[in-house]
Amino acid sequence: MNIITMQNINKSYRMGNHSLHVLKNVSLTVEKGEYLAILGPSGSGKSTLMNIIGCMDVMDEGTYCLDEVAVEHAKEKELVNIRNRKIGFIFQKYHLIPTYNVLQNIVMPLLMRGMSLNEAREASMETIEMLGLAERINHKPNELSGGQQQRVAIARALVGQPAILLADEPTGALDRNSGKEVLKLFGRLHDMGNTIVMITHDLDVAEHAKRVVRIVDGELFEGKEA
Amino acid sequence: MKPGELLRLVWMNIIQNKFKTIMTSIGIIVGAATIVMVIAIGKGGKEDVADQFKNLNAGAIDISYDGGTDERNMESGGESTGGGGMAMPQGASGGFSGNAGNAGTGGGFGGGAPSFGGDFGGGGGDFSPGEMPSGGDFGRGGFFGGGNDMQERMNQENITLDEEDVDDIETFAAGVTDVTISYTTRSSVDGGELEEAATYTIGGVKENYADMSNLSLALGEFITEADDENKEKICVLGASVAEEIFGSAIEAYGSVIYIDERSYVVNGVLETMGTVSSGISPDDSIFIPYATGVKYLVGTKVNPTITVLAEDVNNIDGVIAEVTEVLAATYPNAEFTFEDAGSKMEAAAASNEILTMLLIAMAAIVFVVGGIGIMNVLFVSVKERTNEIGILKAIGCSQKNILFEFLCEAAAISLIGGVLGVGASLLVTPVARYFGVRVELSLSAFLIALLFAVGTGTIFGFYPAYKASKLVPVEALGAET
Ligand SMILES: Nc1ncnc2c1ncn2[C@@H]1O[C@H](COP(=O)(O)OP(=O)(O)O)[C@@H](O)[C@H]1O
Ligand SMILES: [Mg+2]
Repeated sequence: MNIITMQNINKSYRMGNHSLHVLKNVSLTVEKGEYLAILGPSGSGKSTLMNIIGCMDVMDEGTYCLDEVAVEHAKEKELVNIRNRKIGFIFQKYHLIPTYNVLQNIVMPLLMRGMSLNEAREASMETIEMLGLAERINHKPNELSGGQQQRVAIARALVGQPAILLADEPTGALDRNSGKEVLKLFGRLHDMGNTIVMITHDLDVAEHAKRVVRIVDGELFEGKEA
Repeated sequence: MKPGELLRLVWMNIIQNKFKTIMTSIGIIVGAATIVMVIAIGKGGKEDVADQFKNLNAGAIDISYDGGTDERNMESGGESTGGGGMAMPQGASGGFSGNAGNAGTGGGFGGGAPSFGGDFGGGGGDFSPGEMPSGGDFGRGGFFGGGNDMQERMNQENITLDEEDVDDIETFAAGVTDVTISYTTRSSVDGGELEEAATYTIGGVKENYADMSNLSLALGEFITEADDENKEKICVLGASVAEEIFGSAIEAYGSVIYIDERSYVVNGVLETMGTVSSGISPDDSIFIPYATGVKYLVGTKVNPTITVLAEDVNNIDGVIAEVTEVLAATYPNAEFTFEDAGSKMEAAAASNEILTMLLIAMAAIVFVVGGIGIMNVLFVSVKERTNEIGILKAIGCSQKNILFEFLCEAAAISLIGGVLGVGASLLVTPVARYFGVRVELSLSAFLIALLFAVGTGTIFGFYPAYKASKLVPVEALGAET
């Protein structure tokens, strides 16, 4: 079963008079349980594609079906719901809320669904323990190392049990060891049945995935070889 | 999102930025405090006016001869002036006539100051006769009197209201329930615990004065008709006077005081009637029989005031017309000054109203400024927290929740500001009172201030909150902060 079915996606950024064509007729399918890496050099349009997949940005043309929902026709309310329930987004820069502690950051998606803090804490305890953050739940993000912060971000993406995990250069801001930890974790999550799409400019990182596609100048090619 | 959880987040944001919250809400603090004070001072003013007039009959009309007109502005030296039947604030009119006197037009003090309290006449007592070339009355009576020759020239129609006029009005004027005549003067008083003689306001009054002015006695009795007929040297003391001279009403009752070095028995002491803003009140006065005062204190140089009580408060003008007609029979060319309590009350209430309106306008401005302050801070806050808004959107926070979060934050900041403002007003109140402003705090003022505070914050907080909620997630996230 396909979680993602994208066809002929086009996206341009308008800047003043001229426009920059970033995604050119991109088509992509991702099956449930797949672990996919999108590999491409900086500026090739990876993040743009990821933001469209994550319903954070809109495409100009094309069709996109996410877990049986036609995203191109979805209204803001549905998009909010998709972001909250179907997608777990992991960013290069972690993007934790600095004023909230670890626990509060992690349970946020559950609070958005209408859970109380206590319910959300219960529901996220398992994930927190799996990621080794149990001792840290009362810390603020700035009291944690980069690797720990990224684990908090991963926990936040996981607690809602989304249909798909999206990771935009998840190791990009980390040192080599922490990056390895994160990739090991992704392997485990994949083994547990999670669907993962990861973006990277690093072939070594991409090779951790089971399938690799390349993006070059806004065009998508199957396979890791040019 | 559950409202409770949303509020928890709002609360977290606020307590983690205590300093910023306080700084943001300063405008609201000042605004709320201003509102409380405005209402309290307005209320105080209203009660002040009410207090001042509570002893006043709305139907009372003071009639005095205004000697200060251009043709006939000479009353005698002004040793005594029209006493009012009404105890009421009259600082303004008194001051006015004082100016006229200084300007050299002379004129009886009675002009423009028909009611109780002739302080100004006595105020001139410092001028010694020797220093004053025109001598005579001037020294004793104060500077309101003009020179002697001037007086002779213009005094052909020297008019003094008297008891016969009272009888005439009683007999011929319709719509009048009661009439009395009185005057006030200032005289030196000694006795009791006083170490040296002091100057007090003396009111020469008839037996019905107490009723007409709603005076009530704490001890003894008021001046009687017999006292007046026999020119008895008795007196009734205002509550404050009794306390000043004797320490208490009980001590005062039956004792003797010396007015202008003659002994008077204290036949009664009044209850405290309440102070009046101009400082002239029955509390600070000594009442003696009308005739006694004429005989021993003021002589013929008296310019009394006749006070009539209209039967119907709504027919003041009719009564004034009646009285004018009656007096015209005796004094064909004279013009009298009428002043009725109702219009005085209205004037006082109106000026108080204007003050209140001004204060409210001020409070409104403060609130708008405070509101704009909140809006600014929230805009900055939205900008600072664009990234956070982007994150919230990325994990599925709805526009509605973001709008609510920012709105609640604005409202909460304003509520805190409102509470602090109410607190500040409690601190300001004693200061205002120290400076003599009457401040009447009330629960409703607190609630109104809080309501206004939250309202202002929410209204001015809406636009930034709305802006925040409409941010595109990817743009909010990408924003470098
Ligand atoms: N908001 C934007 N406005 C204009 N140009 C943009 C915007 N975001 C990205 N771009 C441009 O689009 C191209 C692709 O960017 P991006 O998708 O971030 O690439 P990548 O993630 O592969 O480095 C780049 O040339 C970048 O400069
Ligand atoms: Mg990128």
